[in-house]
Amino acid sequence: MAVELKTNSRWLPAARSDGDAVVARVAGEIDLNNSPELRGELFNLLGRQPPRRLILNLADVPYMDSSAIAVLVEVLQKMRKTGGKVWLTNLQPRVQGLIEIARLGTIFAVARDESEALSTKSP
Amino acid sequence: MPDQAAHPRPDQAPPVPGRLRLNVTSDPANLASVRHACEAYCRQCGLDEAAAGDVGLCVNEAMANVIRHAYFGATDRPVEIAGWSDAVAVYVSIRDWGSGQVPKLRSKRDPLTPGGLGMVCLRELLDDVVYEPQPDGMLLTMTKRRA
Repeated sequence: MAVELKTNSRWLPAARSDGDAVVARVAGEIDLNNSPELRGELFNLLGRQPPRRLILNLADVPYMDSSAIAVLVEVLQKMRKTGGKVWLTNLQPRVQGLIEIARLGTIFAVARDESEALSTKSP
Repeated sequence: MPDQAAHPRPDQAPPVPGRLRLNVTSDPANLASVRHACEAYCRQCGLDEAAAGDVGLCVNEAMANVIRHAYFGATDRPVEIAGWSDAVAVYVSIRDWGSGQVPKLRSKRDPLTPGGLGMVCLRELLDDVVYEPQPDGMLLTMTKRRA
């Protein structure tokens, strides 16, 4: 059963706990101006006990810059410390392009959408 | 004075479709509006959506570098952005009056190592990137060739 989680940022407008996963929707163009706020919100969401899986739905993120990528990498490293995994879903073309330039396409788990990420068994 | 013959300056560019000139402060809150203005200008110059987006991202990354490394995070310092074009390419320059240090292009072998991605974007998405130290800062000129 999914449980809605409270969020406090327009860049992270919705999140829920779903089984062993936390599913969060990121929204907006993310650059150096708002990536620190997104970082704080994501780390609040993970709390002291990160979930087994974090699924970030990026459908409403048409653009991000290297500071946003740095936030995603930091989140990934926090998740890895507890054996967790980060999924990125619904990648928009510009975001996908930047992830490829950053050579992170095989480091994050990438899924077409939330359903695909949720239905894929954790390794 | 560095030889600038290989990099046309605004006064050498044809007048159409006009020139872009933006004067902003080094506030990250200005990144989006500068990025959008540069992308719109590139589309006016005839670049396709993807190429205009490449320029927008690189302008964003270069200006973020100015904010962080030339002005050390100060948000009230001047940044001047100019755009022009000719038959060959679209050019965008960024002038700052900061530390005058040329950003280092590090080889980014480990994607999990922080930093350096912005410069990788400039190297991979643009056709030419020239940093020209000025007596009181830096002039960066970025070139995106027409397809």
